[in-house]
Amino acid sequence: MRNPLLSVLVLTGASLAVAQSADELNKLQFHGFAAQALVATSHNNYLGMDTRNLSAGWTEAALNVNDEVSDKLRVGLQLHYMRLGMFGGDTVSVDWAMGDYKFNPELGIRAGRVKIRWGLYNDTQDYDPGYMWSLLPEPVYAVDWRATNLAQNGAELYGKLEMGERNVLQYSLYYGAYSFASNDGYMESYKEEGVDFASPPGGKTPGFDLRWATPVQGLTLGGSLMVYTASGNLVNGTFAQPSSYWPAYYAQYNYKKVFASGQYARDIEYDVTTLTGQAPQVDPLDQRAWFIMGGYHLTPKLEAGAYYAHYLDAQGGDNSDPANYYRDWVASGRYDFSADFYLKMEAHFMDGNGVGFYDADNPNGLAQRSNALVAKLGFTF
Amino acid sequence: MLTAAAILCTASARAQVMVIVNPGVSVNSISKSELRNVFTGESFKLKDGSHVKPVLLKEGPTHSEFLSSDLSMSAVGLLVCWRQQVFSGQAAMPQTFSSEAEEVAYIAKTPGAIGYIGPSTPHESVKVLEVK
Repeated sequence: MRNPLLSVLVLTGASLAVAQSADELNKLQFHGFAAQALVATSHNNYLGMDTRNLSAGWTEAALNVNDEVSDKLRVGLQLHYMRLGMFGGDTVSVDWAMGDYKFNPELGIRAGRVKIRWGLYNDTQDYDPGYMWSLLPEPVYAVDWRATNLAQNGAELYGKLEMGERNVLQYSLYYGAYSFASNDGYMESYKEEGVDFASPPGGKTPGFDLRWATPVQGLTLGGSLMVYTASGNLVNGTFAQPSSYWPAYYAQYNYKKVFASGQYARDIEYDVTTLTGQAPQVDPLDQRAWFIMGGYHLTPKLEAGAYYAHYLDAQGGDNSDPANYYRDWVASGRYDFSADFYLKMEAHFMDGNGVGFYDADNPNGLAQRSNALVAKLGFTF
Repeated sequence: MLTAAAILCTASARAQVMVIVNPGVSVNSISKSELRNVFTGESFKLKDGSHVKPVLLKEGPTHSEFLSSDLSMSAVGLLVCWRQQVFSGQAAMPQTFSSEAEEVAYIAKTPGAIGYIGPSTPHESVKVLEVK
């Protein structure tokens, strides 16, 4: 079977079918979540939603099943639903579906559709209950672009090298194929620049992540690099991205009531578009983004925090043009009614519109500044 | 006198929760940082090189005491920690028990299993670790 995703779906289905006895069925784990947001903005419509008129256009849900077939082998899959204004649509996607074989703590392999470990939060960014924030820093973890970068169809080698009681090196090394998500903001951004795809392009995603849980309790340092390619057909030509580089460097401190983290990332691409009958045109891209965030548990159920996120299109030419930058000051709070229900409130003070804004839902142009309020109610089990 | 009171308070809180393992686990003690590593999924390796597998209680005073005294975490914080691993496909959730007696029975028959109980729960079939 050449398709790894299909192989794992078959493997998972077979495993579930074999789990006929009550004991075996009891071993299956099911987990899920659902979250609904309300978003309002002062000026520009944000993230493909009609936020100037208070939008309820952001809904997410996921369901997963895990089967620990043996001490070393686990199979499972997760389905994910997302609607974000004009993105996502009413479709359910396979978030991950894989077999995971752990030879020992130092070496394991996952194969199938596997989440991509990049930066602090790429592989967990679509699990809303995992964060105090309603929106992660948009320049690094763009909620409207993430469907393209969350997972790849291939394999991942992973493990933990323990060098002491509080001294653990964790690695992830992966290689696989991916394609642009057909209905998220990544495709829409290209379309607004005049690059109109006949079908979603795809390519390869080799990369790695290395993170060090340092001897300082709660402090993690790390770095990631994804090298990706893409090629595909335009309505009136062809498109290619030779090897592009997406490095990230990060630090996180999470101990007792205090949480803090920061990350710097850069995205270096060369887009080659060849319109029918014309010479190839090369567009270099150099996007730089970083954030710093912190939070504190005021009580076991109430957490508050703030972050600052920064973006610059270094190839944009004019750093003072709002289309080439984005700065966002954010204040956030989360209250857990129980282990399963939570409420989030968040305020954004945005300057620039380099990320997160679209011409399609801002037909009269974009203001330089816009504020946003986000409220989100969620449930998980 | 204050120091003596502090020691008594610590001993009293410690006595409310016992860390237990399958009798096949060779160590006799465990540090708080090892406990935190094991019960948050950071690392399952103990200082003697052996590997353990954590099990959790769903709720109750023993669970709350263990989280606050030994892990310095809230119940929600521990769940968020594990659920992030589950939803990213990195791990399955540890076995979770409503009853301490069921937990003891599971640990007694499962090699490498580690958990926690209150002192009044019968535990002849498992080994109690000293927390340092």
